[in-house]
Amino acid sequence: MEAARADPAAFDALYRKYLAQVYNYAVYELGDHHEAEDATERTFLSALSGLARFQERARPDDGAGASTFRIWLFRIARNVVAERRRTRRRRPEAPLELAAASVDPADVEATVVRREAAATAWQAVDRLTGDRRRAVMLRFVHELSTAEIAAVLGRSEGAVRVLIHRGLRRVAGDLRPDGVDRDGPRGDRA
Amino acid sequence: MTSGYPMRDGEIEALVVDRYLETLLSRAPLGPDDGVVATGRGVALANASVDIPADLRATAERLVRDLPRYHPSFRFEEHLAARLAVAAASLAGDRPEGALIVFPAPVVGDRAVDDRLPAVRPVVLGGVLTSAALSIAGAAWVAWRRTRAPADPMTRAARAIARARAV
Repeated sequence: MEAARADPAAFDALYRKYLAQVYNYAVYELGDHHEAEDATERTFLSALSGLARFQERARPDDGAGASTFRIWLFRIARNVVAERRRTRRRRPEAPLELAAASVDPADVEATVVRREAAATAWQAVDRLTGDRRRAVMLRFVHELSTAEIAAVLGRSEGAVRVLIHRGLRRVAGDLRPDGVDRDGPRGDRA
Repeated sequence: MTSGYPMRDGEIEALVVDRYLETLLSRAPLGPDDGVVATGRGVALANASVDIPADLRATAERLVRDLPRYHPSFRFEEHLAARLAVAAASLAGDRPEGALIVFPAPVVGDRAVDDRLPAVRPVVLGGVLTSAALSIAGAAWVAWRRTRAPADPMTRAARAIARARAV
């Protein structure tokens, strides 16, 4: 991180480290590979040009190598994605045809099962709205900690925990065979 | 389960689920302290068992297992890497060692003027040249040319005539 700040050419290491995470986030948010690539590109270009403004918030007692760079990067990505959404008419349906990329020709049946499982899980998560959906995605797909998600979304850790808990209950209700939901009406109450 | 400050049931459940997810996502085995949660205010939830409803556990495990992770194509990765390298070089180019041209330009050969050079505000040329910088550079260049000894006899003669007319 410090190396990249001193020499922009060293930014490449940060780019390689976080590329997949940012791209993954953009795919889930935008539902389209091309738009995700565009958002990823904008995110990293913006991060590079703003690197001098990044302020490390990690403290020594957070552990060796701890950094808030990923939070900062995800906040940029979140803004870029929000901008992309504002400039298009509607968000497409679930992008899970993307799972076809992992087709194993030696075991087509297992691949189909995996794709169906992925599509079902995705649809249940995608029915969540707003920050509840984002919090669940950031936790389960991108594997950010509660503290990181709180920083990305600009909420308290307690609020994020409740968002995730309620989101998980909602998804569990949707995935139950009887479809019974015990979490009441949908929404982003946290 | 006890708590040092009032928490609503939903928040306590959310804390316990959060602890469980932390373990699930870190792929670490459950330890004897699981379920004991310290808050930022130093309050502990004591004697908490890992009591996650089975359907929540199953759902959490399913989301971790089934939601795919995507990676960009190698072609895109390298394309963006190249673009970032160009941008990084451009950023580095914003602060090159610039050539110093003193303005106003000193009279050549005048040591008294030369001695004052460090006190004169320099104009740094290099990196990105703005139109303002170009204007200042142009003025500096003209000032320097006017004070520079003529390079050839024809130029010297032409300037001598011009000076004579001005007087």
